[in-house]
Amino acid sequence: MDDQVWITLARALAFSTPLLWAALGEIIVERSGVVNLGVEGMMILGAIAGFAVAQTTGDPWVGLLAAMAAGGAAALLHAVFAVLLRSDPYVSGLALTIFGLGLSGLIGRAWVGRPLQNAMEPISLPGLASLPVVGEIVFGRQHILTWGGLLAALILWVLLHHTRLGLIVRTVGENPAAADAAGLPVLRIRILTVVFGGVMAGVAGGFLSLAYRPSWGQGMTNGLGWIALALAIFALWDPLRAVFAALLFGAFFTLAYSLQSQFPPQLLTMMPYLFTILALTFTAVRKGRGAFGAPEALGRPYARGER
Amino acid sequence: MRRLFIALLFLASLPFASAQDDPLKVAFIYVSPAGDYGFSYAHELARQKVDAHFGDAIETVFVEAVPEPDVEPTIDQLVADGADVILGTSFGYGDGILAAAPRYPDVIFGWGTGYQRAPNVFTYMADLYQPYYLNGMIAAGLSETGQLGYVAAFPISEVKRHINAFTLGAREVNPDATVDVRWLFNWFDPAGTKEATEAMIAEGVDVIAFTEDTPTAIQTAAEYDVPSFSHYASMVEFSPETVASGHLVNWEVIYIDFLQKVLDGTYTSDNLSDVDYFWLLEDDAVELGSEPGVKIADAFVEPLQNTMVDHPELGSISVYDLVMDRHDKMVAGRDVYDPFLGPVVDRNGNEVYEAGYLPTIGDLTSLEWAAPGVVGAWDNEPQ
Repeated sequence: MDDQVWITLARALAFSTPLLWAALGEIIVERSGVVNLGVEGMMILGAIAGFAVAQTTGDPWVGLLAAMAAGGAAALLHAVFAVLLRSDPYVSGLALTIFGLGLSGLIGRAWVGRPLQNAMEPISLPGLASLPVVGEIVFGRQHILTWGGLLAALILWVLLHHTRLGLIVRTVGENPAAADAAGLPVLRIRILTVVFGGVMAGVAGGFLSLAYRPSWGQGMTNGLGWIALALAIFALWDPLRAVFAALLFGAFFTLAYSLQSQFPPQLLTMMPYLFTILALTFTAVRKGRGAFGAPEALGRPYARGER
Repeated sequence: MRRLFIALLFLASLPFASAQDDPLKVAFIYVSPAGDYGFSYAHELARQKVDAHFGDAIETVFVEAVPEPDVEPTIDQLVADGADVILGTSFGYGDGILAAAPRYPDVIFGWGTGYQRAPNVFTYMADLYQPYYLNGMIAAGLSETGQLGYVAAFPISEVKRHINAFTLGAREVNPDATVDVRWLFNWFDPAGTKEATEAMIAEGVDVIAFTEDTPTAIQTAAEYDVPSFSHYASMVEFSPETVASGHLVNWEVIYIDFLQKVLDGTYTSDNLSDVDYFWLLEDDAVELGSEPGVKIADAFVEPLQNTMVDHPELGSISVYDLVMDRHDKMVAGRDVYDPFLGPVVDRNGNEVYEAGYLPTIGDLTSLEWAAPGVVGAWDNEPQ
């Protein structure tokens, strides 16, 4: 029974990896005041680009670079519409998701039904893997990107809260007019964060097609992008909280299969969304009290002289 | 899609051509993309074989990824484009097909995996319960722990029938074998399949079968060297060393038989009310195999030949020979051997089929009970 806890933690780590990468990206995007509902689309473009390039070159890490590039390029589209042209960011993001699902299906036709020849292999963390009981189960066979996601969360947290760069991003998201007055290039910063978000979603998609399930299938992200969006909100736009939120979501998901005879699986897979609604309610109630609120200018395109 | 456009353009260019000299126009409607490597992929392979078989006598088109509520407008379009036969391959197309059929009395409709017919609507199904039974025997022969796993899509009769067949097969080889079932509530759920497979393997399951539209279960099981089974089409490519056998569908066998009878006038748009294909091993509509022509993958033949069991009826026999015995008898016909021949009891001890009773197709397609050895939740289980 003790083992069961560790097995759940191990599977939660693995399953939450793509959620964490994509959610970290979205957190930075939203912290700068932009909403991008295109996570699912960017993720799946990352998945197909990563798969296609890894299959062609034989190197999954080159594939991962392609996945990042594809996610970033897709996000640039959103940046052009939602930031530069100031069109409705919700419509633009949704369009990006639909576009990404369609385009990836089209590109992917040539790759359907073929397994990836050289997949990313799980690694054993030296030292930690030899801990008694926990070691082998939790640290014995995870992917590098799983540990990489945790490291990325830590780095982003430090950047966001303890550096000038983070302060700039947050200011642009809280009060773009003030940032503009202070001489910060608001639009350029927002474009950069949106592209960064796309690169992170690309990593998430690449993880799926190169490591988690090394093959290509149309629609293989299957809604994970939406869960990542919910996760960014549930984490209340904080990279470290995102780690715990991702693990919680991951645990619910894997428990839906290991506890199936005790709990209806629908109840467990619904939990992430329920928690997100609770988190939203929480932020609404605490509005204006600092640390837990949404970025003040979230979802509002910025133009100088407008309010 | 491009094929379809070309086909539609071609059809549109010939609206007044005389019907007599035209090839029979047959349209296939798929619920998912033709290349999805699952259900629609199997139908698409069959369509290509139909094309090759009939040559100029038949012309086929297909429309892919048609959501179930959209099937009626799709039918309207296909009829307008001159389709003579329309084959809706998904269970969920039933309402749309049955609603459209009276409007187009001269068009022949087929409802794949369906159960309701009309003068111009026939139903057809290539059912996998027999190969699943043989897969269950193989699984029990390969298992060290006696714990087998099954990742299942929806708790509907068809999937329950296959789980039961798999379990009954396992228990013919090892009377103590159990089959752990995890439900996805989805036909397509790679992440769910992966986590369900991981969860069961962590709990000691050492052979995996599944009903889901991707090769995810095979890939996941392969990470642990756990044997698995091809589903619908060959999935050997995804793990050449661990796919032990499988259950394959040859839809073209049904399509070719039916269309031949349409061509020679046996079947018309007003005599289909009793035409229901429920084709099995004996009809060649389904097949035991990791890939076509390979019943059991080479690497697994010897271990199964070396595993002996004490069989109440056949005495000491290797699992391999037992599988082949059952296979050959089922190929000979349901009356020669059928895993559901009574007496059959469910896991709650209720008698489902009395001794000597051979369940009808109707019994099998409305089955809700769970076989002894099945472990896990089971919606709508008779108590």
